[in-house]
Amino acid sequence: MKASREWLEEYSDIDVDTIKLGDILTMTGSKVETIEQKGNDIKNVVVGKILEIKKHPDADKLVVTKVDVGTEKLQIVTGADNIKEGDIVPIAKDGAELPGGVKIKTGKLRGIDSCGMMCSVGELDLDINQYPGQIEHGIMILDKSLEKDLGKDIVDILELKEDIIDFEITPNRPDCLSIEGLGRETAVSLGKKFKNPRKNIDELKVEDKKEIEGLKVDITAPDLCYRYIARVVKNVKIGPSPKWMIKRLNACGVRSINNIVDITNYVMLEMGQPMHAFDINSIDGKHITVRRAKNNEKITTLDEQERILDENDLVIADDKKAVAIAGVMGGLNSEIENDTETVVFESAVFYGGAVRKTAKKVGLRTEASSRFEKGLSPENALRAVNRAVELVEILKAGEVIDGKVDVYPTKQKVNKIKLDADRINSLLGTNISKEEMIDILNKLEIKVEDDIATAPYFRLDIEQLADLSEEVLRFYGYDKLESTLIKCDTTLGLRNKEQKLEQNIKEVLVNSGLSEIYTYGFLSEKDLEKSNISNELKKTAITIKNPLSDEYKLMRPSTIPSMLQILANNANKKNQNVKLFDISRNYKNINGEVEKGEVPLQENILTIGMYGDNIDFYILKGIVENVLEATYINRYDVEKETNNKSYHPGRCANIKVGKDIIATLGEVHPIVLNNYDIEKRVYLAEINITKLEKYSRNNKKYVEVPKFPAVERDIAIIVDEKIEVAQIEKVIMKKAKKLLEQAKLFDIYRNEKLGENKKSVAYSLIFRDKKKTLSDEEVNIMMENIIAELEKTLGAELRK
Amino acid sequence: MKDKIAEIKKNSIEEITNCKNLKDLNELRVKYLGKKGELTIILRGMGTVSPEERPIIGSLVNELREEIVNLIQEKEKEFKNQELLKRLESESIDVTEPSKKVDLGTLHPITRTIEEVEEIFLGMGYQIADGPEVEKAIYNFDKLNTPPDHPARDVQDTFYITDDIVLRSQTSPVQARVMENQKPPIKIICPGAVYRSDSVDATHSPVFHQVEGLVVDKNISMADLKGTLEMFAQKCLGENTKIRFRPHHFPFTEPSAEADVSCFVCGGKGCRVCKGEGWIELLGCGEVHPNVLKNCGIDPEVYSGFAFGFGVERIAMAKYGIEDMRLLFENDIRFLKQF
Repeated sequence: MKASREWLEEYSDIDVDTIKLGDILTMTGSKVETIEQKGNDIKNVVVGKILEIKKHPDADKLVVTKVDVGTEKLQIVTGADNIKEGDIVPIAKDGAELPGGVKIKTGKLRGIDSCGMMCSVGELDLDINQYPGQIEHGIMILDKSLEKDLGKDIVDILELKEDIIDFEITPNRPDCLSIEGLGRETAVSLGKKFKNPRKNIDELKVEDKKEIEGLKVDITAPDLCYRYIARVVKNVKIGPSPKWMIKRLNACGVRSINNIVDITNYVMLEMGQPMHAFDINSIDGKHITVRRAKNNEKITTLDEQERILDENDLVIADDKKAVAIAGVMGGLNSEIENDTETVVFESAVFYGGAVRKTAKKVGLRTEASSRFEKGLSPENALRAVNRAVELVEILKAGEVIDGKVDVYPTKQKVNKIKLDADRINSLLGTNISKEEMIDILNKLEIKVEDDIATAPYFRLDIEQLADLSEEVLRFYGYDKLESTLIKCDTTLGLRNKEQKLEQNIKEVLVNSGLSEIYTYGFLSEKDLEKSNISNELKKTAITIKNPLSDEYKLMRPSTIPSMLQILANNANKKNQNVKLFDISRNYKNINGEVEKGEVPLQENILTIGMYGDNIDFYILKGIVENVLEATYINRYDVEKETNNKSYHPGRCANIKVGKDIIATLGEVHPIVLNNYDIEKRVYLAEINITKLEKYSRNNKKYVEVPKFPAVERDIAIIVDEKIEVAQIEKVIMKKAKKLLEQAKLFDIYRNEKLGENKKSVAYSLIFRDKKKTLSDEEVNIMMENIIAELEKTLGAELRK
Repeated sequence: MKDKIAEIKKNSIEEITNCKNLKDLNELRVKYLGKKGELTIILRGMGTVSPEERPIIGSLVNELREEIVNLIQEKEKEFKNQELLKRLESESIDVTEPSKKVDLGTLHPITRTIEEVEEIFLGMGYQIADGPEVEKAIYNFDKLNTPPDHPARDVQDTFYITDDIVLRSQTSPVQARVMENQKPPIKIICPGAVYRSDSVDATHSPVFHQVEGLVVDKNISMADLKGTLEMFAQKCLGENTKIRFRPHHFPFTEPSAEADVSCFVCGGKGCRVCKGEGWIELLGCGEVHPNVLKNCGIDPEVYSGFAFGFGVERIAMAKYGIEDMRLLFENDIRFLKQF
């Protein structure tokens, strides 16, 4: 909301400069975005009189003029063709500055000296509507009466100096989307008296009439239209608005159209109430009905666009058709024309939520709708329409007919709140006296009587004690708040189990040389395809109704595509040795939770992705095992996984606790790598932290350090390639029972001499009895049993 | 006999003293003390000595033996020392050669920033709370005093899955869930990812991270909020950081404020980071709106609370001098390795 200082001064004395005013208002809650000081960007432009005009000797389109600028006579070359000798014009002298940072210097034009420039309306950044008779492309011709002011600064002569403050108004304060509201804030903020220039309007009594000039009004949707007031003006003379009005409209960023339209805009800016004016003859049956639109009802709005409505939208209609979308925009069919004789001024209040929805649906967010959607005061609507017709009289734009048609089915509630000064002090942490609070509230026109505060009609946002506390604090001063620390029962500041585990995980990974990444939770169907995510998983992906783009349409059911994309980006940049991890979520709609309005499954997933020198499956496996150790997963099985299509079928494993898969790791499938244009082998692991938390048991206990010596025996066996070492270990474990302390694999050897598809696996077996020293014989028996069982069940052959 | 002993003494001392290495020393040891050594031979020949002279000769030999042993030991020590010095010298290395280590990995600047914030609030007795990112609209909006017709619910701002399920646009739904499930005193911070319908550019991202805080108990005031944030700002951004409250409006707090901190880059003098103003807008905050407390089953007549929330990326970017937010999500290893 823009406001000029000059307009604000109508409501409050201002004894500080505009910058300071901006600071003060920001600190009382009317945040100043920018301050524009108009006229400051025009320098050294003066009133001049054209003494003579001669042809340029070398250019047909240029003329050479002599101009009197009071102190001297200048020669200026110009291409303008709307000037004649004797004209008074604005002259930018040598060294002048114009809006937009343009600097004027003496120079030569086709060989002839030109000591300045004559200015157009545009070059001075003025609104052409404020200067009737001026043309867009031509020099600004000033009034002859200014001949006495030759050489004087154009900024002073045209009164161009104007400070415009642009406020960011929070949505709870629609009253401050008006000069009146901002004027009130200004007065209270500066400790001045609010002048209220509209006292006459406040005290005005206008007679209610059933109809005026045949115009009747009905409201059939009182839930959406709280009040509708019409006043009528006849013998309207459509014409330009006076300069003062145009100037104020311009200051607020509104262009002048004609006196009647300008009055509606002026009142909206002044009082915050959007108005609508229309030709009474365009109303069929002269009967206005405020009703819900019919489904598929069409209306062409003032901007000549056809809009399709439904029963959630509110329209202003006559007996045959809709003439306006309530609160959003008028219809083209009831527009004021130059031959309009009788005008209806409408001032109404609609339910904000509905206006907002309609405006959004039809894609029209107007000055009017943005005010209505915040909820306006029906009481203010009456003031506004009375002010509008007062302006009609002031502008002599028509004959105002006495009386109003005022349908007011939903009365504005008056909010009364008990003023509990102690509670306010307790909420704020202040020690403000009740008298001071009452004083602040009274200045804001919140009347306090017998400890009951009554919110004024224009402050619909004041509903309860908390609102009063904010008003008190705003004018007591946010900057005067002390800094205290809370006093309450001791609370523990501790991370919970999952948070601690997550920290352990990060520590392991950082110590293993991995770098953490952050990825978006959304992706596209194509991403799921590229990483060969199973159909079963794909089905659980959640679709965003209003995605930013197709690329970000789904919430990912798997974190793999996000990791692969980041690896691909790094590979694409020729980054060598990339080792990454990501702790983030997946999102799975497994049993239609989303459709039932329930929160879908969201698991915390650790994703590891690596490529580079000396990285292979077993390096990855080691990191994963360390993660499991750091999260106190004491028992788990590693099983080969051949069906996960994202991974190499021969190089993928699941890690299970019981039957529950808690992690999957492996080399990425070459097809997937190809989809991502990655030429290196990539290793990937997904570890479900949510599940880790479930199985994590931090129950470490001291076990006595062994007292008796261990016996170590090495064994090497030749087995088929397809036999997993885990199978061998199972057999060894089974036969050695509890006396085997460790079976340490120390070599795997492959050689033609061993036979086709054979490998030699060598273990160092460590036996120990906790209660005594083991004898060689005991160990020998176990070794024999082990070897026999390996031969029997795995077809192993002892390598000698 | 005595003469013989005297001669051995003279020769042995001279030879041992002049001995040049361990090998020669060992030979000398054999020569004098060995089984066939000169002194041993004398001892063996004691039979030929008269009984009166035996003890005298015996003690003479023993004295000499002890003297030779000591002398050899000393000499031996000297040689070993020399040898050790030689070895140490030969084993000298260039300590400036590169180490053999696994390079440490790195935590993302967003994590680093969140953890720093977490540590400060953990120290003040706050717990860290977490909740769903795909969240019920009722928690993201309704319970936070943002009813169905409220502008904040616009599709332009929020990603919708259905009318009832959204991607949380703030971490405040976590606060609502905690208030529903926990009795005061409540002291929590809620860090996490939030989603808003902003296109990606240097200062915007559809996914970013927030840390929100909530305290609910009896007599929790706006001044407590200011004190808490001041403490936080000083620990996180520097001991001399000042904080400034400006009035503002949020649906879930009343009174509401925007808090600025004195620029932690220039200390308030005005620089590029604070756009010459000396202050940086840090966060939004306020006293929890009584409607929010009520909606979450807490009696606003008895309890009050404060809440605050800020964007992590902005702080991380200011702290590390990162000018383009996209870098945070591009995850180029050359970027990541710097933290």
